[in-house]
Amino acid sequence: MDIFLQQLANGLTIGSMFALVALGYTMVYGVMKLINFAHGDMVAASAFVGLTIYTQVMGQATSLLAVITIFLLSAVCMACVGVILERVAYRPLRKAPRLSAVVSALGASLVIQNGIMLIWGPRMRIFPELVPQVYWDLGGVVISLIQVIILTLSLVLMVSLYLFVEKTRMGAAIRASSIDQDAARLMGINVNSIIALIFIIGSSLGAVGGLFIGLYYRGITFNMGWQYGLYAFIAAILGGIGNIPGAMLGGMLLGLFNAFIAGYVSSTWADAFTFILLILILIVRPTGILGERVAEKV
Amino acid sequence: MREMQKYAYPIFLAVMAVLPHLLNSRWQAVAITFLIFTVVALSQDIILGKSGMFNMGQALFFGMGAYTTAILNHQLGWSIVATIPLAILIPAIFGVVLAGPIVHLRGDYLLVVTIGFNIVFVQVLQNNLGGVTGGPNGIFGLDSLSLFGINLASQVAVYYFAFLVLLATLWVMRNLEKSKPGRALHYLREDQLAAESIGINTRIYKIFAFGLGAGIAGLAGTVYATQYAAVSPEAFEFIQSVLFFSIVLVGGSSIPGILLGVFVMFVLPEIFREFATWRFFIFGFAMIAAMILRPRGIWPATFGKIPKFLIKGGSHGA
Repeated sequence: MDIFLQQLANGLTIGSMFALVALGYTMVYGVMKLINFAHGDMVAASAFVGLTIYTQVMGQATSLLAVITIFLLSAVCMACVGVILERVAYRPLRKAPRLSAVVSALGASLVIQNGIMLIWGPRMRIFPELVPQVYWDLGGVVISLIQVIILTLSLVLMVSLYLFVEKTRMGAAIRASSIDQDAARLMGINVNSIIALIFIIGSSLGAVGGLFIGLYYRGITFNMGWQYGLYAFIAAILGGIGNIPGAMLGGMLLGLFNAFIAGYVSSTWADAFTFILLILILIVRPTGILGERVAEKV
Repeated sequence: MREMQKYAYPIFLAVMAVLPHLLNSRWQAVAITFLIFTVVALSQDIILGKSGMFNMGQALFFGMGAYTTAILNHQLGWSIVATIPLAILIPAIFGVVLAGPIVHLRGDYLLVVTIGFNIVFVQVLQNNLGGVTGGPNGIFGLDSLSLFGINLASQVAVYYFAFLVLLATLWVMRNLEKSKPGRALHYLREDQLAAESIGINTRIYKIFAFGLGAGIAGLAGTVYATQYAAVSPEAFEFIQSVLFFSIVLVGGSSIPGILLGVFVMFVLPEIFREFATWRFFIFGFAMIAAMILRPRGIWPATFGKIPKFLIKGGSHGA
């Protein structure tokens, strides 16, 4: 039972990180019908940007204000990268066959990933200890302060995003663009700005996810974007790609799945099981759990 | 221009045939690597370029061939040459079995699933499933090449082995292009719906392309295992698959393009050490540029701005 509760806590923590990153995939997919393969590498880049802001700009301060500044600055940086990425690599291809955009996304992914390597070097870097190491022992289940922060902050961000998309006019514009871009344009919605907005939101959420990954796992490498990106993408498919609550649910479920595999089977097989899960979903129910949008088969 | 086309191939093959005698042993090794990776890239081209399926797990089939040879040679004592049929057959069967349930998926999904296959494969190797893969260290100390009791241990012999495999691959691809399955793949890449409506069983041909590409990659794996006398999981990580994928895409699915791509990705880093760290960065930009300047660059492969003689052998079937 202890192992169950412990893995439940761990699973929810990593699940909320997956969910944050998955939101970036699913929002871009919702509007552009494009899998933004560069998103995972942006998440990795965010951890490195955060590291540099901590050492160069903040002078290694770990006060609450400093930590908040690191999060905000990293999110702003990645939002800018996201907008530039969309402008340079995706917008010229909006009318092209969609697999061209996929190739462009892969190219962008390689550029960002290897850009990180050229700037910060190929070796693993250690992310600073921004949050004090506090642990609570709740009857055999150990929970850390970092876990609580990650879980709470992710939930707050996800709920606000949900409310933003469902309750505001701008959110309505996002939903309209994802249903039918041309009709949205006829209704006076500036689809280009909506897409830019999507990239800003998705990239900033991804940036927060990247910093969480740094805080939680500590070791960050230039090529970790592929791994976390793929996991988050699987989470998005699991929940139903294009569906915002689906990405949150999928992220949590995948996090739990991973934690239980690691707890009960073996962590050396976690990747294999996760991908077998993905393959099964795509074969059995390609629309995911909450997905109404059918994954096209052509 | 036409004249150049006619002579380009014989000249290229003639140069490749005498090449090992012009090089010292270090460059012979580089040349062998060039041949091996060219064959893998060509096998990827059958699946990705010729049939339009976004397969990003080619390193799996390559690795499966290499491991088949290594295991049969090291654990069971088969000679390298005797392992060739199984090193082709086992990856081909896996290609067919794995492709079966997934070929209907759209490009980007197919891509993620094949990445998944590749990652599962490497994890199986690392976890030493069945105790035969040697775990993270792999298998080393394979026998050298021998045929009918004649020992062919020299690097030049391995070079000609690799060259022979390349010739066989080119021959298969040439025949494929002119055969019924080749034409069927060509149609279904251009327009699957139209292909189906004229009675092409797209599913069968897609699976066939996967099997064929996997088998050829497996054969290249045998050459790889022979060249290094060792196999280890990291040589078949999915980042290798990314390489083959991008080589075929940027090369525009044409033989000269692929040769150039393999040269840039595997030979140039040997000449300019510095370039090894930059190659993915530059290739990423090349992928974006190729898509933007030629949005239909690979779909179909018509690289209009490139001089015509370079397009010979392009997937348009000439």
